[in-house]
Amino acid sequence: MRAKLPRKVPPVFDQADDPAHPFDHARLLDVLARADADRLATLAEEVLTGLGPVEVVQSRTGLVMLPMRDTVQGTDFHLGEVLVAEAHIRAAGTEGYGMVVGRDLNRAMAMAVVDAAASLGQTPEIRAFLLREASIQTATDTDRLREVEATRVDMETF
Amino acid sequence: MAYVATRGGERAIDQSERLYRAELGRIDAARVAEIRHALPMLIDRVMGEASLYEPDLAALALAQAGGDLYEAVLLLRAWRTTQPRLTIAEPVLQEQLFTLRRISAAFKDIPGGQILGPSLDYAHRLLATGVLQGRPYVPAPVEPAATPAPARQPSLAAWQKAQGLVADPARADVAPDDIPDLTREPLLFPAARAHTLQSLARADTGGMLALGYSAMRGYGNAHPTVNELRLAEADVRVRHPRGTVFSAGRVKVSQAEVTSKGKSGLLELGFCATLGWNEVKVISGATLDLNAPGAAKGSPVEEEFFLYHTEPVEASGFCIHFKLPHYVTFQSSLDALRGAKAAPAPHELEKVPA
Repeated sequence: MRAKLPRKVPPVFDQADDPAHPFDHARLLDVLARADADRLATLAEEVLTGLGPVEVVQSRTGLVMLPMRDTVQGTDFHLGEVLVAEAHIRAAGTEGYGMVVGRDLNRAMAMAVVDAAASLGQTPEIRAFLLREASIQTATDTDRLREVEATRVDMETF
Repeated sequence: MAYVATRGGERAIDQSERLYRAELGRIDAARVAEIRHALPMLIDRVMGEASLYEPDLAALALAQAGGDLYEAVLLLRAWRTTQPRLTIAEPVLQEQLFTLRRISAAFKDIPGGQILGPSLDYAHRLLATGVLQGRPYVPAPVEPAATPAPARQPSLAAWQKAQGLVADPARADVAPDDIPDLTREPLLFPAARAHTLQSLARADTGGMLALGYSAMRGYGNAHPTVNELRLAEADVRVRHPRGTVFSAGRVKVSQAEVTSKGKSGLLELGFCATLGWNEVKVISGATLDLNAPGAAKGSPVEEEFFLYHTEPVEASGFCIHFKLPHYVTFQSSLDALRGAKAAPAPHELEKVPA
């Protein structure tokens, strides 16, 4: 079922988004899946008209099994299942896909719509959205990690 | 043991359920939201044992069960069966976790340093009784550091393997679809390691603590020290129809390794991880994993013993099924008892020699 892809670490936590270059597909999907639900829905409404008639291939909740690799023997095992919302659409000769952790079907559908629109070209509107959301996500992570850093132990031995 | 069909009691059963639910009263979205926000540790525990990550549903299950953990886990395990399995995510790797807490009790100077993260380990356990007298408890805010901690922390076990302190067994890549899965096949012994670790990830926290604690107190083969404890968030990395792998979001995970000096002259490690943040569970589970090799049959650290006895739905279900009518079985015991009393046993007639 799965082709073997080279494992590439996605630049999720340390990204330098160059406004001159389009977002690569993985980065675009990462940002959309974490984007604010309301702002994502607004953007999806806006780009929807440009897509014409939309065929909804899938809109459902379901389970994603999450495996983990044991650090002792390197055994992959199943940690448990995560409930996700999934949307898959076809429109304007392209397709769009959304999957988000949780059970918000609208969020998944909005992600699929924006994914489809972006596959036809990352318009300034879409790029502005991605840049803004990416910077908010980075700032959120940075704020949390500054709090985490405050708990680093500076140990003295006697 | 035999079961017979009986009739009667329908009205009593109906009213009994009403009496139980009347105590809990109206359940609405606000109550569920309050449970979710006020009790994240309990939500995590229930999600881990249910093996289903969805905090809102876990909060709803707790609300509906009135906080009975086994009922809540059962509700979630049952609901899970209504959902299709969409895919299997990419395996979570330790060094890719978005790490919020990472400590070692065995090694002071671990690569990446000791980061306490959110913890009550060093807190005074004082009940804030003022809250009941109208003085809300407002926690002091964290004073953030100027620079953020690295989101990812190196793997201590990988470093130990590189240093030759820990055995580094060869591993073979397994396609995600070929990872053994307890939700689709039975647990058989000797268990595949993937089954053992999946079973521990779903196991009952209290049961694991009891059995793990027995090993910690000395009824096991190895005394554990925490090699590494991590609380983190893992990306759920899935595949777009065009093949792009992306993160659909993050889920909380906890993971522990415990260590002890083995007979081989190397450090031995035990491992456990679960969905949600649950330190007691993963430390206990890792202790059981560390102690399992070579354990005597029937000992609490033997794999078959601890995996069978820590499955929360089976264990609690078996326990509470004893409340259901067993009149026929018990009647036969009573008959035997009364029969024995009525007919004096022949040896009672004999004089016991002095």
